[in-house]
Amino acid sequence: MKILVLGETSRDIGESLSAISSIEGDRVVALFSTSHDEASRASALGYKVYHLNTRNTEAAYKLLVKVYEAESPGLIVSVSTKNPRDVLSRLAGLLDLPLATNVRKISVGDGKIVYERAVLSERSISLEEADPPAILLVMPRLFKPIAGEGQGSIEELEPSEEPAARILEVKRKELGGARIEEADVVVGVGRGFRRREDLRLAFELAELLGGAVGGSRPIAADLKWLPEDAWIGISGKRISPKLYIAVGISGAPQHMAGVSGSKIIVAINKDKSAPIFRYADYGIVADLYEILPILIRKLKERKGLG
Amino acid sequence: MGDLVVLVKAALNPELVRSSDGDRLDLDSVPLKLSDIDRNAVEEAARLKSILGGKLYSITVLTWGPASLREKDLRLAVQEALAKGVDEAIVVADDSAVPGDQVLTANIIVGAIKSLGLKPDIIIAAEESIDEGTGQIPGRVASKLGFPYVSFVRKIDVSDGKIIVERDLEEVVEVVEAPLPAVVSVTQEINDPRPPTLIQIRRASKKPIRTLKLSDLNVEPVRKRAIRELRIIKEERKGVVIEAESVDKAADRLLEILESEGILK
Repeated sequence: MKILVLGETSRDIGESLSAISSIEGDRVVALFSTSHDEASRASALGYKVYHLNTRNTEAAYKLLVKVYEAESPGLIVSVSTKNPRDVLSRLAGLLDLPLATNVRKISVGDGKIVYERAVLSERSISLEEADPPAILLVMPRLFKPIAGEGQGSIEELEPSEEPAARILEVKRKELGGARIEEADVVVGVGRGFRRREDLRLAFELAELLGGAVGGSRPIAADLKWLPEDAWIGISGKRISPKLYIAVGISGAPQHMAGVSGSKIIVAINKDKSAPIFRYADYGIVADLYEILPILIRKLKERKGLG
Repeated sequence: MGDLVVLVKAALNPELVRSSDGDRLDLDSVPLKLSDIDRNAVEEAARLKSILGGKLYSITVLTWGPASLREKDLRLAVQEALAKGVDEAIVVADDSAVPGDQVLTANIIVGAIKSLGLKPDIIIAAEESIDEGTGQIPGRVASKLGFPYVSFVRKIDVSDGKIIVERDLEEVVEVVEAPLPAVVSVTQEINDPRPPTLIQIRRASKKPIRTLKLSDLNVEPVRKRAIRELRIIKEERKGVVIEAESVDKAADRLLEILESEGILK
């Protein structure tokens, strides 16, 4: 079965190639990017690269239709990020192809494409099958990108017409570089914090534990008390530290799905009926304003700083 | 002046998943509710209607059956949309369309728009549902109708026959201009929807709900995927609540635990 891999970066393409490593068949790549450097990095993965040279999703979709017609793949794979989801949902609609996101496992058997994906705010796994040609988007950062093994050719594709929806401006987001996905200890902050200034308690605790601070959707995405790259959850970042301390977080499913890879979860919340306690290894029912200063003092004493 | 269409889903409630047999999900026992981000979509559609005028329709396709068992949940979800500003609800509830298949759902939505003669300026939907979470329906509908599509939108401005939107991507925000008619998918950050008031709920009960079958729309029940099995992920956590006579003692206990787990040295 021929497989078409779509991605915005060579890394994402490498992850998709890794997700299908057990499936036999030729591979071709479509890179959705305006970077020629990225195109040569993608070609170093060893397969032919169609370079969709645009950043407009409508233009990329039209170019992808041409690639699809030229290659007739039985399976199209991408990482589940926003622009590929946009482009591939259009292709799925045009050709009535099945499409699934948050895929964690793919195989082929008896002419069917069989896959597992997370559903219901990642509370459940759905085992599904689809008739080829099918489109599967795999969970980001789940598969280790394959290493390059050769040199593929690059075919440049330029949009032939002006898209109806035009990009007027691209604004870079303010990111804090919190790197919560790499930290061994993460302190998560939620609505239990009453004022932005009070987050210093969480930062102080994180520093003493050699960790970083992240936040739930209300704190990072709505109130913007933290930069957006510190947002933990399904639509934010997924983390898997050795220790996750959830402070003043109620434990919404969308948040918990982002921390399910943590080795140990500690919950601090003054509401003893908060759902977070059901998903924690250790819980303390206490007011964060009371317990955090105590924990900070005791940690300082242990380090001889007190 | 055209109309507006908002896509509304009665989704499985992820907080009420239950299993009857080991970790196998008992689908029929999971209640449906209005999908979270659909509230934002309805709120935004009502705001756009106050600017653009026209009539606001909602379209709902029942994707979890059987239809006879889902009647009440479906009605509650649709009534919430009606209470928040939808003028007329279109509901397609047909056992030949459950469990849902996104190829079919998109065909049904487009079939409803065409056969009822709706002329939407804007079709608005949530970025994804809370149950399947694939976010593919608006893109499919846009392709089928040949409309421009802007996804993951957190802000919409309307000015003479076009929209200017902010697309919220992972690392950038894209400002995009699109002519109407267009399809827009919105994120939770676009607004802060309030629950409907009692008066709104009472008024909603008088608004029309049109219930249709596939045969009314000339849509074939095609299927491209099958769900073999749904399993609940059982996360094993210790669930120990630290009991102590004072907060100070509880803090000590926590530090001892972190030490024994090898995190504190």
